Amino acid sequence: MTAIRKVENDIYELLKTVMDPEIELDIINLGLVYNILYDGDKDVRIEMTLSTPACPLGDAITDNVKNTINKKYPDFNVDVDLTFDPPWDASMISEEGRKKLGM
Amino acid sequence: MAKNLHTDNAPDISTVKPHFLFAAIGFLVLGILMVVSASGFFQAYYNHRLLAITHTAVLGWLMMLIFGSLYQLIPVIFDTALYSERLAKFTFWFTAASIIFLVYTFWIGDYVRLLPYAATFMYLSLFFFVFNIMMSYKNARIKNIKASFILSAVFWLLMAETEGLLTALNFKFNFYNAIHVAHLHTHAIMGLVGFFVMMIFGVGTTLIPMFLISHRLNEKLLNKSFYLLNTGIAGLVLSKYLYPNRFVILVFWSIIIAGVIYYLLYINDSYKKRMKKTLDVGMKYTMLSLVFLGLPVLLSLILILLPKSNGSRYAEIIMLLYGLSMIFGFFTTIALGQTYKTLPFIIWLEKYQKLVGKYHTPLPRELYSEKVAGVQFYLYMLFLLFTPIALILQNQNLMLIATVLFLIVSVLYNYNVWKMFFHDSEQYINKREKEILKDHN
Repeated sequence: MTAIRKVENDIYELLKTVMDPEIELDIINLGLVYNILYDGDKDVRIEMTLSTPACPLGDAITDNVKNTINKKYPDFNVDVDLTFDPPWDASMISEEGRKKLGM
Repeated sequence: MAKNLHTDNAPDISTVKPHFLFAAIGFLVLGILMVVSASGFFQAYYNHRLLAITHTAVLGWLMMLIFGSLYQLIPVIFDTALYSERLAKFTFWFTAASIIFLVYTFWIGDYVRLLPYAATFMYLSLFFFVFNIMMSYKNARIKNIKASFILSAVFWLLMAETEGLLTALNFKFNFYNAIHVAHLHTHAIMGLVGFFVMMIFGVGTTLIPMFLISHRLNEKLLNKSFYLLNTGIAGLVLSKYLYPNRFVILVFWSIIIAGVIYYLLYINDSYKKRMKKTLDVGMKYTMLSLVFLGLPVLLSLILILLPKSNGSRYAEIIMLLYGLSMIFGFFTTIALGQTYKTLPFIIWLEKYQKLVGKYHTPLPRELYSEKVAGVQFYLYMLFLLFTPIALILQNQNLMLIATVLFLIVSVLYNYNVWKMFFHDSEQYINKREKEILKDHN
């Protein structure tokens, strides 16, 4: 595994601690994170979405993503790139997430 | 970077918070007034004590809650900021003073000397609110059916208040020959159905699917509901004035009921497609309130169909049951539920938005006591059960028990609201960090 891939995997695991406060499920299992891109130096880009563009918790979730990554990697510049293309839907929830939600 | 988030347009918490606090106090005052005048429920439904209770409920409790919630939701529904936060803050204080004045006027039954002034103040405060919402709509980037519900709700509010003001002024100046009770009916239709039902439906179309987490809903149902409701309300009000024929009234009520049914079908669609299978206390209240909406619908039909029932004590009891089922069965039940959904998030965002990820933070629902909310829920259901039985049996002791239950509910609700407001995030984080350190060692 390359060093870049290792960091990306680590961030992936870190983002499993970022919860959607309403759904009470982490953003990875919810399927909100589309891509994690690390440049090998200090820049990380997280491509992600929200369960709805009208989500009033949008800022709180994106702040949480940045803070969680910066807690372990204080020197990283974290860019959260929000996209609604494709829009999120329930089919993006992982099997583990479905079990947790009782679906 | 995060762009185009509705949170960018969110109002300052200081604009929203006072409404929730006033509403909580209003709910407590309502409980006290109901216990003190439990016997008022056995008199004519338009007696001044009941009018004081009704206006405490609809203005001091429900209206304030709607003002606060709507200011928070404007960015979500209209995709624009509230037109003026300064006006909203001014409106709050003006409305608060007007409500206290109006309720006091009804309580002492001073219709000639004080009511015209109290009604004028009330009218002005509601006008400021309506103006702020209409100007926000003008700037709206989203003008869909959900936004139309909000817009028509504030239109009916203005109509209801205009009628209320004219009736109140007429007590003093007698400029038209009026049967005040008849005006009370149209005032109630425009206020309760036109404003409250329409507003709750409008806000509900955004909040309910959001909290149930359901997507791809049939919005055509909402369109039908919207046009049927507005046609029914307009037709009903006009027919009451121009041609108060029982058959015509029945036709327009049926149109309103059809609008309600289409709305419920939309919510049912959302419920079936929900991701969140388990309903928390807030959503339990919300879903039950929509079931309870069947009661006023049924009672209104009975009132229209009962032969020559107007004026009889029997008809008055049904009329009272109709009003109570609307205000307590539907409005208050959904208001209690949605407070437990929206207020924890508003407070949580204020206290923890900048701290998430840095420290262990609570979930929004952990800001209040779920145990207290649960007890409150069951006591409220008992109140809803006892009240109609007491009225039908004309049993004053049972009514007193029901109102005491209501008072306890209002105390428990206030406990949770104040607990959220006084939540100390620093203390919570210090405690959690110590616990984590202890577990680590």
